[in-house]
Amino acid sequence: MKTILSLFTVIVLFTSCEVEGELTRDIVEEEVSNDAVLRFTGTFNPTSGISGSGMVKIYQLGNAYTLKLEDYSITPGPDLKVYLSKTDSPSDFVNLGNVNPDLIYSIPQQVNLADYPYVLIHCQQYNHLFAIAALQSN
Amino acid sequence: MKKIAFIGWLSIIGGSTVYAQGCSDAGVCSIGNSFDKENSSKNLIETGSIYGVGEADVTYLSSYLTYSRAFNDKWALSAKFTYSIADGSFGTRGQFGDAYLISNYKFNKKWSLLSGFKFPFTTANAKINGYSLPLDYQASLGTFDLILATNYNYAQWDFNLGVQIPVFNNNKNSYFAEYSGTDDFPSTNLFERKSDALFRTTYTYQTPNKKFTFKPNVLFLYHLGEDSYENIFSERETIEGSDGLTINGNLITSYTLNSKSSLELSLATPFVVREIRPDGLTRAFTAGLIYKVSF
Repeated sequence: MKTILSLFTVIVLFTSCEVEGELTRDIVEEEVSNDAVLRFTGTFNPTSGISGSGMVKIYQLGNAYTLKLEDYSITPGPDLKVYLSKTDSPSDFVNLGNVNPDLIYSIPQQVNLADYPYVLIHCQQYNHLFAIAALQSN
Repeated sequence: MKKIAFIGWLSIIGGSTVYAQGCSDAGVCSIGNSFDKENSSKNLIETGSIYGVGEADVTYLSSYLTYSRAFNDKWALSAKFTYSIADGSFGTRGQFGDAYLISNYKFNKKWSLLSGFKFPFTTANAKINGYSLPLDYQASLGTFDLILATNYNYAQWDFNLGVQIPVFNNNKNSYFAEYSGTDDFPSTNLFERKSDALFRTTYTYQTPNKKFTFKPNVLFLYHLGEDSYENIFSERETIEGSDGLTINGNLITSYTLNSKSSLELSLATPFVVREIRPDGLTRAFTAGLIYKVSF
């Protein structure tokens, strides 16, 4: 029995792993096109117990809108998401995906930005709001 | 005779089948196969590793360890732990999956009742390099499940009927197909899974020298509703086509090493699958090597 348990433990230890693949490689920081027009900006205010700062900028290029985090240093969390939100709490929002300051987020075409005056940083797994940015038109 | 009854008992809760697929984490899929009925021990340890080919380019190596104990000729208890590694275009991710605690009550020589729970070790939100992963790469679905099943034995035939019901959902998966760079897997953000019903029939044939036992079996699984997830607009959306029937074929070949231990090779493949399989449990093929020892 000891042998079996030892063998199981060794197998598990040696096979425990997290290796990136072609769909999960680091991305090089994406740059906003020079032709894009800055439409909205916001400054993040961390919630209680959270520290850091950062800005969010929304650009328009043709009919497409994109979002970029800038100078971003909010406290890391286990499952942080970027939400375009109708209010300053995460109840009615567009989930743009995981926080990654290197990324340019594409905003879905059907989103009317006038309906979403906030950008939230929210930990989905533990349902904890990390930061709020109220968008201002440029 | 009493000891044989113990082992018959262990066989029902300790017996395993390589699952090939449709059921939740192989919970109801891993019940109801006979063990070495010549054996006379009360304790059974079983460990196995299963290689599986999944959706797209995903392959799996899943391992488990089970301990079963027959307390008397009526009651037995089994504990099982699983570990799984998935490998594919998203990378490689290994994690502990679930723990099972299963009890079994035997009414008579033919009928028995199984009940138990599945406890997840994860919230099904493992990531690689900060990227959310589909459920195909998760070692558990993150649900606490109730498992109920009954077994009927007639001569060399075994019949199992069971259900696996998620009673508490702790799935925190955050995978969106829209943001992943591939359409191989459906979105499963904050996935909610429906129950499964199972019917299995197994025929057992043992060679005259009792060295080899063959257990071909057919497993019918019905997913009792459409699963759902929260879309990017924070609205819950059902996944059409995620309910329905899966039919698996499985052949177990068991070789008796000695009076206390045996080695099994289990091969399985599905004949019928559901239209959409967001839970990541689908395997095109599985092959498992399983070692059992009693004491």
